[in-house]
Amino acid sequence: MKNSTKPASNANPVIRLLGLGEAGVKLVETLAMIGPGGIETYSLDTDNRSLARCHQSQAFLLGQAIPCGLGTGGDSALARAAVESDSEQLAGIVRGADLVFIVAGMGGGTGTGAASFLANLAKEAGALVVGVAATPFDCEGIRRCNQASGGVRDLKQVADAVFHFPNQNVVLMEGANVSLHEALDIANRHLCEAVLGVSRMLLDSGMLNVSFGDLQAALRGRHSLGSVVHVDASGDDRAAAAVRKLLTHPAALGGEALQEASTLLVHLSGEDITMAEIVAVTDAIGSHVTKANLVVGASEPGSDGAGLQVTVVIAHTAKLAEPGQEQAKVHPDQTGQASGLGFSGSFSVPDTGSYLDLGKGAGGTSRGSFAYTPPAPTADALTPECREDLIRVAAKEEPNRKKRQKIVQEMLPLEIVSKGRFEKSEPTIHQGEDLDQPTYIRRGAVLN
Amino acid sequence: MGERWPVNKQNVSNSQIIVGLEIGTSKVCVAVGEVSENQVVNIIGLGQAKSRGVRKGEIIDVALAEEDVRNAIVEAEQVADVEIRSVFLGVTGSHIRGFNNTGVHPVVSADREITTSDIQDVIKNAKAINLPTDHSVVHVIRQHFRVDGQDGVQNPEGMLGAKIEVDVHVVSGRYNRLQNPIRLVNGLHLEVDNISSCALASSLAILSPEQKELGTLVIDLGAGVTEYAVYSAGVIKHTGVLAVGGDHVSNDLAYGLKVPLARAEQLKIDHGSAVIDPEAGDREIDLSNDSLIPGRQVNLGHMQKIMSMRLQETFELIARDIGQAGLIEYLRAGVVLCGGGARIPHITRLAREVFNLPVAIGRASTVSGIKNALDEPEFATPVGLIKFGVFQSQANPRRAGFGRAIRRQVAALFGR
Repeated sequence: MKNSTKPASNANPVIRLLGLGEAGVKLVETLAMIGPGGIETYSLDTDNRSLARCHQSQAFLLGQAIPCGLGTGGDSALARAAVESDSEQLAGIVRGADLVFIVAGMGGGTGTGAASFLANLAKEAGALVVGVAATPFDCEGIRRCNQASGGVRDLKQVADAVFHFPNQNVVLMEGANVSLHEALDIANRHLCEAVLGVSRMLLDSGMLNVSFGDLQAALRGRHSLGSVVHVDASGDDRAAAAVRKLLTHPAALGGEALQEASTLLVHLSGEDITMAEIVAVTDAIGSHVTKANLVVGASEPGSDGAGLQVTVVIAHTAKLAEPGQEQAKVHPDQTGQASGLGFSGSFSVPDTGSYLDLGKGAGGTSRGSFAYTPPAPTADALTPECREDLIRVAAKEEPNRKKRQKIVQEMLPLEIVSKGRFEKSEPTIHQGEDLDQPTYIRRGAVLN
Repeated sequence: MGERWPVNKQNVSNSQIIVGLEIGTSKVCVAVGEVSENQVVNIIGLGQAKSRGVRKGEIIDVALAEEDVRNAIVEAEQVADVEIRSVFLGVTGSHIRGFNNTGVHPVVSADREITTSDIQDVIKNAKAINLPTDHSVVHVIRQHFRVDGQDGVQNPEGMLGAKIEVDVHVVSGRYNRLQNPIRLVNGLHLEVDNISSCALASSLAILSPEQKELGTLVIDLGAGVTEYAVYSAGVIKHTGVLAVGGDHVSNDLAYGLKVPLARAEQLKIDHGSAVIDPEAGDREIDLSNDSLIPGRQVNLGHMQKIMSMRLQETFELIARDIGQAGLIEYLRAGVVLCGGGARIPHITRLAREVFNLPVAIGRASTVSGIKNALDEPEFATPVGLIKFGVFQSQANPRRAGFGRAIRRQVAALFGR
């Protein structure tokens, strides 16, 4: 149904998968193993050790001069420096790609620091950039979580969309008793599904095709947090089961994410899909969707079983770019498509932690204010409207700078020793010592 | 002694009843003493009640304290078979302090002979103390006279001199807080003959004249307060009150061992020790009988450590105070302990270690009477109050007021 932007000689869009940092490299290795053909995979890390495990993907050591292959040790500035020193080679990697996935585990050094730079390079090369980010478990410490949030936000400023999966969601889904191995496995599977779902959607030749153009129209220039929900179901009532799974999927937020979406790409894959099944799925989704543009595709699976696989790409917009402007700049043939989507200017999404919220400290996550302040974006990384907004926000914020939530160092109270029966009586103070408190406490004697 | 003040005939013919009342933190105690014609004191009755309205030696609940005092008085009346009309009241509390003062008086008579009026004048001067407005004097105890710099004069009357000085020990307290127990006793239709600081009373009861002469430290380890008095050269040199007592020990145990206060109190009585027994370290005391938690145990070593530290600290504070007063060298007769705290096992050993002096448990050796009233260290104060009363009535034979005269007449008529 849709036409490709690529020359006819290369029917499929060029999809490149870039894994950054240890977590990213692992994911990319997995994806390279199980993923459909036609995806080029690259592993990038500052750590030689993690790259040594790469067999399926092309490994690239970042920052040969600075961390010398020893990793950044959680220092995102070091990662940034490393990636900047290699910007020419990296530009070569992303050149000519239509769609670049940047897979990174946030919270560490390399993934957090380098992802946004890499995304920027890919963006400059004209690709549609989708970040796939994993954020750490809450128990991994507030600093790491804050760094991860900052990394996601940085990446989102540059990438067209970021599919974000907090590892903590696994705990919510599976309960706290899930083993660590299992939890990581589930988290990885969700991230892989996001990538696989999208690439399958684009690469599978289908009866109803969802093309790269659809994806591009849905995502390009949105700088939003998106999500990909990928479910499979089998059996007699596989459509209903798939819908149920879809709506209970953590990334769907119980259907809330669907409501806030601006574009939904729904792709069904399975053998002998009936019209009824397609209708059942799209109706269920449609009932949750108010304004979004729904694009439906369906395809025959290549090899996997009889189940029904449903992939839904949920794309939000934090703030709409002027309709068609950016699309027109890069892909003139998509303007009609984009303007035909019927976005209204008044459409607004509840605070999804957009770029404009910088400094408000809200961040849109449940963790409250960020302790992490991302490095100042370079001027050329901003769209003109983004820049205007920033100036406006900054002007508004300036007088209220003091009102910003300060990070207060909490103080633990000193041990309060109860005075028992002398609580209310006149204290016996002798040379500055309160004799009502037990002597052994005042003298620091330890009862073991 | 009797020579100096004419003895009231009535007192001689009828043995005099003197009652000491101590409103303590753990108990209210009444001792009834009979002073015979030859000034021998005989304890004929004791009354006790558990005290509920007192903390740190001072009344915090008048109604409860009044009830306890009434019970103790009634019991003492029954035992002694007398009607108690007036009491000598022991007062204590952290507000009471003792200090020494000196009065000076020039002898103006032509022949430089010191007369009685000179002595009265110099004592009057010594009493003129600059006290805070809310304080009042409890005692002014004469120590020694100095005549023209000659020290250690017991009685300067008839001596020649140009200047006479006197050292006195003054015990003072806050007026309102001294009035509280007096008002309480008055509320029970009892007269308060006089008040005395408990430290003074205890020392009167247990110290022999030799001990006073040699120099002794008396420590009354009460439940709410610890009082101490230093005697040297036959006179009181120093007194002090520390608002720390047995209650603090119990409270420390309750906090440290995490047991209720009442249970801590019982533990202290059953298993307490003033020194740490090295073999007690591993022993556990089973509390499961009276605790809601089955298998609840407390470590005896911990318990003794908590107790020992508190008691040691109390002694150390006293030792420091006496050391600052420069009196520690004068305590040749050592330390005498009394009060309920003197019953703690090994308390003398601990005191010996702290003061480096011989330590004994005090006994009311200077009076006769009911055996258990004299042997128990906790009755030192009420017994001492009786002795205080005896001295007082010797010093100031009762000025028979009109009402008292009538009452006495009536009593005499009916042969009481």
